[in-house]
Amino acid sequence: MKLELLLSGQLFFSALVTGAVYVLIGLGLNLVFGTMRLLNIAHGEMAMIGAYLAYWLFALWGVSPLVSMLLAAAVTAAFGAAVYKGIFRGLLASNMTLVRLEANSLLVFLGIAIILQNAAILIFTGSPRAYQYMDTMLHVGGVALTQNRLIVLLVAAVIGVLITLFLRFNIYGLAINAFIQNRQAAMMMGVNVDKIQLMAFCVGFGSAGLAGALLSMLEQVSPYMGFSFTIIAFVMVILGGLGNVFGGMVAGLLLGILETYGVAFTSPSFQLVLIYGVFVLVLVFRPEGLASMGRRL
Amino acid sequence: MRKLWLAALSLAVVTADASSQSAAPVKVGFSIARTGIFAAGTQTSLNSYELWAERVNAGGGLDVKGTKRPVQLVWHDDQSNASKAAQIYEKLITSDKVDLLIGPWGSPASLAIAGVVERHQFPTVVGAASSVKLREIKAGNIFFTSMVFPDKLAQTLADILKANGYKSAAVLTVQVPYTLEIKSFLVPNLKKAGIDVKVDEGYPPMVRDMTALLLRVKEAAPDAVIVLSFPADTAIYMNQARETGINAPFQFNLIGPTREWFPKQFGAHANGMVTIGSWHPNKAEWPKAKPFYDAYTKKFNEKPDYSDAILGYMACEVLEEAVRIAGLDKNALRKTLASATFDTLTGPVKFQGVENVATPTGLSQYQNGQLEIVWPPNIATAKLIRKGAAKP
Repeated sequence: MKLELLLSGQLFFSALVTGAVYVLIGLGLNLVFGTMRLLNIAHGEMAMIGAYLAYWLFALWGVSPLVSMLLAAAVTAAFGAAVYKGIFRGLLASNMTLVRLEANSLLVFLGIAIILQNAAILIFTGSPRAYQYMDTMLHVGGVALTQNRLIVLLVAAVIGVLITLFLRFNIYGLAINAFIQNRQAAMMMGVNVDKIQLMAFCVGFGSAGLAGALLSMLEQVSPYMGFSFTIIAFVMVILGGLGNVFGGMVAGLLLGILETYGVAFTSPSFQLVLIYGVFVLVLVFRPEGLASMGRRL
Repeated sequence: MRKLWLAALSLAVVTADASSQSAAPVKVGFSIARTGIFAAGTQTSLNSYELWAERVNAGGGLDVKGTKRPVQLVWHDDQSNASKAAQIYEKLITSDKVDLLIGPWGSPASLAIAGVVERHQFPTVVGAASSVKLREIKAGNIFFTSMVFPDKLAQTLADILKANGYKSAAVLTVQVPYTLEIKSFLVPNLKKAGIDVKVDEGYPPMVRDMTALLLRVKEAAPDAVIVLSFPADTAIYMNQARETGINAPFQFNLIGPTREWFPKQFGAHANGMVTIGSWHPNKAEWPKAKPFYDAYTKKFNEKPDYSDAILGYMACEVLEEAVRIAGLDKNALRKTLASATFDTLTGPVKFQGVENVATPTGLSQYQNGQLEIVWPPNIATAKLIRKGAAKP
């Protein structure tokens, strides 16, 4: 590919948007996985619920997804609270079940994912749905920006900053950090375990729902959309470091840039080779994650 | 008196026995992907099967050589897995003991079941599947209603470009078996037609961004951009082609534009997009087309997909007519399928070997928000128009 194309603003914008999508998708998983080591493979299904909410609110009442994303976050956060209180609270409180919980959580969340996907098929059918929203072009310095893609980028940036500030300066955010660093020590220092775990579930699930609502502007909504989101989220979490929320965001951005520019330098056929090749290299040479140097956020 | 009672009792037993036999449903079996990578694409086919069963039952049942019997659909999820499909068809035949078979969705699964139905000598009609390999295996018990076999589609694309004076093309292909097969015929056909293939690139399924690829296409500035895509990447192409400023007058997406969501997502930008399609609900020559369109729209609250939904319904109509002529005997059914001409919602269907040779391979284009058949000229409902320049 010619140099001017590689240096083009269009390619850079696309790389940023792809990275922003990954950041949005992966953010919430890090909180759940990082605080409680729970393998939430229903994460993508939370995004699916958010996407359906946004679709139907727009299709029936013309509600902007920029508004419905907040409702989607609330609904999926409430679902997260219900899952925590109904299933995991007791399991996390018992030392006997806590030991095996990481492995068992995979099956529990798999069951939840299957139930949610099939419920969506029964209620909405399997037909993909889509709507047209904010797809006009803006032109900035010779670069064409589709409005809805720009919005996704901006919202991802705002949410990333908000969560970073929350984890760094808010008392509950600091408590979550402490929990991620050392669960036992945090408990001994008086951190309210139940409250923190509940909060992690709510924020984790809620952010996935918000991401799904936003992404419904760009992608078709279907009961099957969740799986690819879950895979991306796990890759981000591993690359960035378990429980390292800021690291996960950096990993998401890097992944987007790697994917876009890697393909530009080589060929689209190398897309998956690049992504999973880097993933394997990080696992081998830096299993603690790319961003885990010094003090973790 | 006693003899009269005995006669009446015997008559009652015989009548009861006969009526219970005529009421026994005709079981129509199939597998379909309800989970896995193809799941999002199969709903419209399933809708067509259900609509057909409902129509037949509302009319008193399936005509089995003069006796009407209700239709009962028996299906299983093959999870988008061809091996699973083969197991399911074994089960449908030996355990579920179905009377009729419709093939699975997709070419890989159809190839997988061909051996099963051949071993059991169970004639099967398939809707949404087409691969040249299916023709090559010379199966005697599998019949495809599809008119988009890869070699025919490739030739059709080359023909329409040549007829409209286009001199160059870019070909982008999602790397799945069906599209790779089309590409293997398309690129040589384009070159044979004197069309310069300036870009020939593949990309993986589940791609999220095509900008780098599309910038290469924009740089090449071809007359035609042919994207052998599936629904998800069709949507990505539509969004990012506008962003990168692709202005080719002919733009084609393989699968996606005939689906209900496509015009809803892209509005006026859909106009000018070309796709596969040999069906139109308003063609007077196809009197079954409009009733199907109306019934489908009413039942499912959405328009039918002009591709897979049609192929699925065609398969059912073919079976329906074959059973009316031949009954449920497998040998008679096979002979009828191999020799008769069937009347369907897209006109006549006739099989030569595995392939439907009566329905032309057509292309449709969005014009003023509606899909119009633009090729071949003998079934066209409108002329091909140039895609409006994308305003980046």
